[in-house]
Amino acid sequence: MQATLTPTFESPTLQKRLKSMLGVDFYRLFHTPMFYIFLAIAALIPAMVSSMGMMSGPDGAAAAPLFTNAWNIVAADSPLYVVHDIGEYANMNMVFIFGGIMVSIFIGHDYRSGYVKQLFTTHAKKSDYMVSKSLVCAFAMTCMCGTYLLGGIAGGLFSGMEFHAGFFSLLFAILGKAVMSLGWASLYTFLNVILRRQFGVSITSSFVLGTGIPVIGAAALMGNSPALNMFLYGSSVNACLSSNLVTLLTCIAVSAAWAVIYNALGTLVLNRSDVY
Amino acid sequence: MNAIEIRNLSKCFGNKQAVDGLNMTVPEGAIYGFIGENGSGKSTTEKMICGLLHPSSGTISLYGKDHNDDEIRSHIGVLIEAPGCFPNVSVWNNMRIQAANLEIKNPEQEIARVLRTVRMEGAASNKFKNCSLGMKQRIGIAMALLGNPRLLVLDEPINGLDADGMRIMREVLTDITQSCRCTVLISSHILGELEKIATHYGIIRHGRMVREMTAEELEEDCPTYIALRSGEGSGTRLLLKGKYDRVEEEEDGTIRVYGDARPEDVASFLYEKGVTVREIWTARIGLEEYYIDLMGGKKQ
Repeated sequence: MQATLTPTFESPTLQKRLKSMLGVDFYRLFHTPMFYIFLAIAALIPAMVSSMGMMSGPDGAAAAPLFTNAWNIVAADSPLYVVHDIGEYANMNMVFIFGGIMVSIFIGHDYRSGYVKQLFTTHAKKSDYMVSKSLVCAFAMTCMCGTYLLGGIAGGLFSGMEFHAGFFSLLFAILGKAVMSLGWASLYTFLNVILRRQFGVSITSSFVLGTGIPVIGAAALMGNSPALNMFLYGSSVNACLSSNLVTLLTCIAVSAAWAVIYNALGTLVLNRSDVY
Repeated sequence: MNAIEIRNLSKCFGNKQAVDGLNMTVPEGAIYGFIGENGSGKSTTEKMICGLLHPSSGTISLYGKDHNDDEIRSHIGVLIEAPGCFPNVSVWNNMRIQAANLEIKNPEQEIARVLRTVRMEGAASNKFKNCSLGMKQRIGIAMALLGNPRLLVLDEPINGLDADGMRIMREVLTDITQSCRCTVLISSHILGELEKIATHYGIIRHGRMVREMTAEELEEDCPTYIALRSGEGSGTRLLLKGKYDRVEEEEDGTIRVYGDARPEDVASFLYEKGVTVREIWTARIGLEEYYIDLMGGKKQ
């Protein structure tokens, strides 16, 4: 008589699942030209903004420079809650707008290629997907912050700007903005999960919901509300050239809160809806 | 143990009922041919089994566990429509990505094995977008075979395959079910190919299971007949109709005589009537004809 074999199956651990998913996402990030293009854009923008003072207008006169202090390319002098000058917002916050577009393209490819179909028929969990995408995109945005900084320094040196800021204030401002990458990446991952079937719309939404329009628009409408600003629009606008350790800690706390909230919401959306 | 057990499964897309109270049982080790016309709910059912779509109601059990169970999901190989590969990435690296998702140990060896199985080892370095449709299907099958799955769900995997590809497919599926007791759920419109390998069948229509049966039951259900060709055409048919209950003429002039008659009896009857029989043989209706009859409502 033939014995009946009962198949046994192993349950993969969270660590194993996340490790393999992160491995795949990092592999994809480093092997896509888009990542390097966005790094280059992040470097070019501050260099161009810094060099504006060297350009001459139609009448032959030199154009007014947007900044006189090169570090203003990285952060404003004081926390930004209300609009005084558009130039105050044209700093490292712009990375989060380019980053949003990059996240849209990155996640959009998952759906357009059918990769998610391949992924979610395995043991992969929706929460792992959210976490992995957020972490990889946060890493990409942090790298963009790095090239942005280099571009800003190069542009400042080239256009002969002054460099004056307290070392630690500058360091905390840069770290504060870089830390917010995780929060922004989580927000964009969430948005793109919602709009996963509308590739063009997801890119547009990432652009519109980047720091630019909501921060400027809402700050102007709601006035000077630091608490609201810090939570709703990202403490990246709070990180400035007068930053201290508290600023950095605020950025870490807000970024972590954003990451938890948006990853949880994204997981909920994915779990409740059809994948493909 | 049943590999797949589906009870009262339904799926609605807005007002459209794609699957409507479907019941389905796929025994372990079976090659289950899932048949139905376009839009009958085959792909939707398969996507629900794989966890890509959420059922509106009903249950799906895989090897006795809920189909969303993590443990079971690592052991399912899937090819739904087309393989989900990145177009600008090489075939090998696409396979590496899926091997990583499945946490396969020794991925290089495993990828080489499955590519060899589908005779695609030569295409490993090609970018996926540069592969032909048939090559892509073979790569999709190779991807589904990664990690020796216990259950394979294949949606129209034969589409785009050449004769050699179809032969390989038959060999692979037969081999894995016999040697690894893998279960295969395969949907296809190429019923002639399906008939060569399937051990079980499920026929779906308007989202409902019309009939489930084994290959043996199909064979019993498919009547034998005597086929013959003569120079007389319709005249021969009329002669035979006078003697036998069911006589049909095909488009190419072949006449079929159903029932218990023997070929020699039919041949001598026609000889006596002065009709020359050019060819005569015994045959059985195939899956395709059975399916068409069933869909046409001729067969109960």
